[in-house]
Amino acid sequence: MQCRDFREVADSYLSDELLVETNHDMIAHLEACAECRRELAARRELRTTLHASFAHSEELQIQDQFADRLRSKLRDTATTEATSLILRRRVGMTIAACLLVAGALELIAWQRQRAQAPTQIAGGERHEPNVAQVKPADDQPHPAATAMDAEMVLAKMSELAAGDHRDCAIGHRLPDMPIDLAEAGRKYDRAFLNLTQAVMSHRDQFAGAIELVMAHACVFKGHWFAHIVVRHRGRLVSLLVTRLENPDQIAATKEKLPKNPEPQVIACSTAGGYQISCFRTAHHAVFVVSDLEEGENLALARELSAPVYEHITRAEVLAEFRG
Amino acid sequence: MFKRIRQLDRASQWAAFELEALPHLSGLFRLAMWLVRERAEAEDLVQDTFTQALQSFHRYEKGTDCRAWLIRVMFHINSNRRRANARIHLISQTDERIAETVAFDPPTPQGLTEEEVLRALRSLPPHFEEVVLLSDVEDMTYKEIAKTLGVPIGTVMSRLHRGRKLMRAELASYANSRGIGEQHAEKEASASSRGN
Repeated sequence: MQCRDFREVADSYLSDELLVETNHDMIAHLEACAECRRELAARRELRTTLHASFAHSEELQIQDQFADRLRSKLRDTATTEATSLILRRRVGMTIAACLLVAGALELIAWQRQRAQAPTQIAGGERHEPNVAQVKPADDQPHPAATAMDAEMVLAKMSELAAGDHRDCAIGHRLPDMPIDLAEAGRKYDRAFLNLTQAVMSHRDQFAGAIELVMAHACVFKGHWFAHIVVRHRGRLVSLLVTRLENPDQIAATKEKLPKNPEPQVIACSTAGGYQISCFRTAHHAVFVVSDLEEGENLALARELSAPVYEHITRAEVLAEFRG
Repeated sequence: MFKRIRQLDRASQWAAFELEALPHLSGLFRLAMWLVRERAEAEDLVQDTFTQALQSFHRYEKGTDCRAWLIRVMFHINSNRRRANARIHLISQTDERIAETVAFDPPTPQGLTEEEVLRALRSLPPHFEEVVLLSDVEDMTYKEIAKTLGVPIGTVMSRLHRGRKLMRAELASYANSRGIGEQHAEKEASASSRGN
């Protein structure tokens, strides 16, 4: 990529409107070109100043009197008959829907009755349906239900992980400055301490080479992540570790700690064009995010999982021991 | 019973509107003030926007960006008001031609004041000004801007490109007049002429 090309799309890069491949080209160019780094910083500063100038400009501010007047007017409008036309329609539609559902249920009941009638005649006695086939027992939760909840929570959190990968590893545009992993480990989460060493000390055992790009702790949408970025097969890959908010609630089984000492690594979702593989420990969720193929990303996550799982579990046990 | 249901429904709708839409009142007012420039007119525009939004609140998809939805409502009302004024259209066409003639893209100066940045934004032709505003101040995506203005996404991108370029040129002139970044601009101009 030439400087001229870089400057053509620098603003789209800041707006996160470029393809992943172009983002990689931009990062590669940034690493080599000090002049374009300065230009990008200047454009970012210009946006920040523009934001601030709008927020600070006295002439653009709303007057309290007008705001109060408008709020009260809107509240009156909302609570008078002016909006009740829509509501009346809605109530009418609800009644119509109820009638339709009742009709449909009646029809289904009639059809079932018709279907059962020949059985009674042929068998000479009434056919009793097997209750177990119709409905599972209510007194025990379905074994798959809690596991599914856990997967759903991880899938939801994986969107945050993908966002952090995009805005931090790829875009370098997190609003809050990342901090040192050791500092975050001391202040917030002891599992972050020495995490980089735990990963990189095993790199010789991995099938594909990985090269450390950066490691820090960062905040994305209110969640702290230990964030290790490595290069693998020429692509940037994020390893993100975050503390589970309610680990007991999303435990896949009744046991809080997984019985199996091996981490269960799954390809949990795709978000924003990134593949996300994940696994969990008793109190943490771990994500591997990249734009590699799904299989490649999962394979790398599986390789990384052993040292990471061991390191975090040890930290969790120590934390519990210390109370 | 239906009266009670209606009251409950109205109360819950107002509670949702108060929670989702009203926090954006100040931000929407700043945008309206920037667009129409007169306080009385901005108040009218904001009042119409929120009244319309309240009446159409059942169309708002919960969980989506309420601010972007309100901005869309505001631009729709504002463009209806402006439609009668043909003069603006003629000016914007002329301005688009002017924008294409800006050949040199100077480096973005640093250390500018907030006042200078606002002045440079104000100096843009209206079509460029509104896309830069929606993108760089309101942080809307290109797709959202296209939807708000009712133009193709390619048009948004082209206007943004030209608008930002014009703005940088304007800012460079302010910076030069204060002695900021002159050397940088010269260096950049020579690099540009070499074709990098």
